[in-house]
Parts: sequence; C-alpha cells; structure tokens
Amino acid sequence: MKRLSISERLGLVSYRNQARTDAKAHIEVDTDICNSTCPHQCTTYVCPAKCYTLDEAGELHFQFEDCIECGTCMYACDQGAVKWSYPDPETGRGVNWNFG
Amino acid sequence: MEEKFDCIIVGGGIAGLSAAMILARADARFLLIERGEFCGAKNVSGGVLWGSDLNELVPDFGDSPEGFERFINHRRLTFMDDQSAFSLDFKSAHFEQTPYSGVTVLRSKFDAWLAGKVEAQIEQGTHSESSFLATDILVQEVIQESGRVVGIRAGGEDFFADCVILAEGVNNLLTRQIGIEPAYVPADHVAVGVKEVIEFDKSVLEDRFQLNGRSGLTNEFVGFCSDGVEGGGFLYTNEKSLSVGLVLGMKDLREKKKAPQDILNQFKEHPAVRDMLTGGKVVEYSAHVVSTGDIDAVPERLYDDGVLIAGEAAHLLLNAGKAIQGMDYAMRSGILAAEAVLAAREVSDFSGAQLSGYQKALENSYVLTDMHNFHDAVKLLHDPMMFGAVPNVLCDFGRQFFTIRSEPGQKSRHMMTAAVKRHSSYWDLIKLGAKAARAL
Repeated sequence: MKRLSISERLGLVSYRNQARTDAKAHIEVDTDICNSTCPHQCTTYVCPAKCYTLDEAGELHFQFEDCIECGTCMYACDQGAVKWSYPDPETGRGVNWNFG
Repeated sequence: MEEKFDCIIVGGGIAGLSAAMILARADARFLLIERGEFCGAKNVSGGVLWGSDLNELVPDFGDSPEGFERFINHRRLTFMDDQSAFSLDFKSAHFEQTPYSGVTVLRSKFDAWLAGKVEAQIEQGTHSESSFLATDILVQEVIQESGRVVGIRAGGEDFFADCVILAEGVNNLLTRQIGIEPAYVPADHVAVGVKEVIEFDKSVLEDRFQLNGRSGLTNEFVGFCSDGVEGGGFLYTNEKSLSVGLVLGMKDLREKKKAPQDILNQFKEHPAVRDMLTGGKVVEYSAHVVSTGDIDAVPERLYDDGVLIAGEAAHLLLNAGKAIQGMDYAMRSGILAAEAVLAAREVSDFSGAQLSGYQKALENSYVLTDMHNFHDAVKLLHDPMMFGAVPNVLCDFGRQFFTIRSEPGQKSRHMMTAAVKRHSSYWDLIKLGAKAARAL
C-alpha cells in the first residue's frame, strides 16, 4: 500500500461548513506561551491532524480548519495554552464522519 | 418556557442512546441532544462492541444485521518485532451462536441505526410528540440552581428537566463545568486512537481473513506497532472493510516525541500487516482521544444533585489485555443511569443521595467490578516491558524455533535463554511474571 501523507489523509475527511470562509474557531491557542516558555511544543507532533506547525523560524502556528475534534491537544498541552471547545454546528468547522 | 422533561440526555452516542431506550420503554418524557448532524456523526471507535448488552436493548439484533458489521468468532493477539509476528490465535464455532458476544461496528452507521430503534420505541409510547432525539445542536452549558443541576442551555435556549444525564464522551467539558472532574485532565489519564478504514472487494476480504457469512476477526498487536510508545495496534474486519489503527498513551507520546500518524504508517508497513492490507483503499482517516481504562481516572462520584455521568464521560472503559471494552461499558452505564432516573421518578427525589443508587449499580455490575478487579492488569499493560522486551523475546524465540537449518538444532530452552539474554534478563521477566500472576 502506498504511504499516505497527512494531507492525503485529511483529504478523506468530510468537514462541516466547508464552503464557509468565516467559520468560527472552536479552539483558541495562546501561541505566545508555545513560543516563549513551553519546553516541548508537543502539539506540533502529537496532533493527528497536524493543526500545529512550526515555521522556518521555529515559531509555532495553529489553524483549526483541519481539526478533526479528537481532543489530543487539550490533554497533551500541560502549559495552559490550549482552550478547547466543540465547534458550533452552524458557524464552526469540525467533522462529519462517514464511517467513524 | 416549555413544561420540563423527566430527563435530558446530553450526547447521542452509545451511552446516551442506551439511556434513551430505557426511558422510552418506561414511557418517560425526555430530550436527547446530539451535536452531530445525526447520531454517530461525531463518534469514532476501534471498534468492537463486546458483550451481550446490545441484545438487551435491541433483542435479536443478530437476526437483522443492518446495524453492526461482523460478529466475532476469531480472535488473534500478535506480538511483533520489526520483522516478525508471533500470534496467539483462537477461533471457535462457540462464538457463532446468538446473542453474539462481540460485533464490529462503524459508529457513523451503528449509532444512527440505534437511534432509529430508539425513535421507533418513542413512537410506541404516549410521548411520541413530546420526547425527542434532537440533532445538530450543541449544548453550551449545564444550568445549575443553588448547586443542583436543573437543565441545560443549547442554541441560546434553556431546557429544564428533573434530571440530566451527561453522556458527552471522553472530552467531557460539561462534566468538568459542574466540577465532577477537574477542568484540566492530565495526559496520563488518556490515550489517542488513530485509525484508517480500508475498503476491499468483499470476496477478497472474505478469502483473505477466512470469513464465513457475517463472521469476523479481531487482531490486536503489541510491540513494534507502537514504536516504543505505550499502547498497541488493532485490525478488525468490517463487512467490506478493515479498521486498522493504534491506541497510544498520550503522556508517553509526548515524552517520546512521536507523531501518531507516522507510527500508523510504520505499523501498516510491517511485513505481517502489509500483506493483510494489499489491494485495499483507504476511505477514511480518523482520530480520537480514548480513556486509558485506569480506574484512578474515574471521578470519585458519578452523580450529583440532578445529574448523572455515563459512558466515557465518566472514563468507564477497560483494557486488561484481552479486549478494549468501552462501548459495552457505555451501554451498560447508560442503561443503569436511566434506571436510576426511573427509580428517582418513582419517589420524586432527584437529589444526589437518591441518584447515588446509580453508582452502587455500577459497582455491582461488571463495569466497576472489573475495573477494580483488573486494575493491576491495566497497570501491567503500561509496563514498558509489555510493549518492548516481551514481544521482542517472543519473536526472537519464534524465529529460532521455526528456523530449520540443515545442521544440528538446539533445544528450545537454549533458544529461549538466548532470546531472553538478547532483549531482557530472566530476573526482569520473573519480576514481570510475579506482577502478572497477581494481576490475572
């Protein structure tokens, strides 16, 4: 079997409100904490949807659009940087599993 | 303001729907709120529903198998190193009788099916116009008055009930809001599951896994599959697909700096797994946090004035090495929560003191009994030797034992000694064996 990249994998996910450009974020990340005092920046590797990335300068960035609502970052982050909630069915993103 | 409900259930997963079925049978007036577009839309599991509780909710479900994927008559536990797989394999016609004691499910389909059964039950009662399964609505908060739960707020509206059952799943924000669990749940209380659903031509699947009609195989893996991280792998047969994935300890994953999707790739490329996946097409990639099944993670009290916590919101789950039991625990706790609500309704008392009967019922059922009894086994599985030295020793021994060279062979005990020396020590294995003897 061909090895799948994360974008190929996420390409198989049905997201809600995909057409909405103004979707409301359901997770807020205080990246100032990630980029100053956090000793591990673990979300950049533990998040199964790779919503947390490091740029060339080593700065952490977060985007919620690819989030599959698994909850991982809420537990993995022990620095108080992640404020996690469920996406609003109407105005948010989030998933619609076809198989689950 | 509408007349209040007997009960509001938050979450239309297995725990919530099971509670709803019991309430509908008793002709109670209730509201179940699910944030997904339909019940099952937000749910992910491995997933095998173990045990026979489903038969209690949907008698003879096995005769009309549109809800589940396959019944399990074939179990396999595989220890693996980077090249080898050493399996314990058990198949029996004993498992072919209904009610089945394990069925594979895909939650998006299964939960929607179960919701249909609940709706049919509501239709038969006197509240067919006033009990609801309401989907696509997010519950924002639990409403409390002088310390007791009286209802919920959803979509800017308030809904009131004598009692609320929180069956919101492992990411239990409302359970935390009312203080039954602390606001921050540490990483060592959970794991993360990642999974792919891989589709096959049905006849290929049946031939490859020796499936007969609706029979199915479950295969769990320990060792190489988790790349040194606490946890293991699984492969389950669905009707026309496989569910293939990993469950990885969150704290260990963080400390070992590993990405779950990379470990999943590596697991799929193991020679023994690769050959089972050939020709398949990945149709979904999913992930979800899952409780570790350690009773230390279960909140002390699963009730309070006007509220009960059911399913994984209460961290009810057991993985003591023989199966990952989460959905049956959700089902039973949902049933018991609904029964506690009905008992409270009899005496018009929804205080915590009355609802504590729920916790007692859980203690008396397999749910908390097994979580207590197998606590040592759960801890044993978290021992690094279980996903390191043990599978390595077994695979090393297997490779020697099954190798036939055209030269004089060694006795098995010499092969075992050599294998143990390469990966561990007898002393470490004896210590582990002593722990295992106590645990099992």
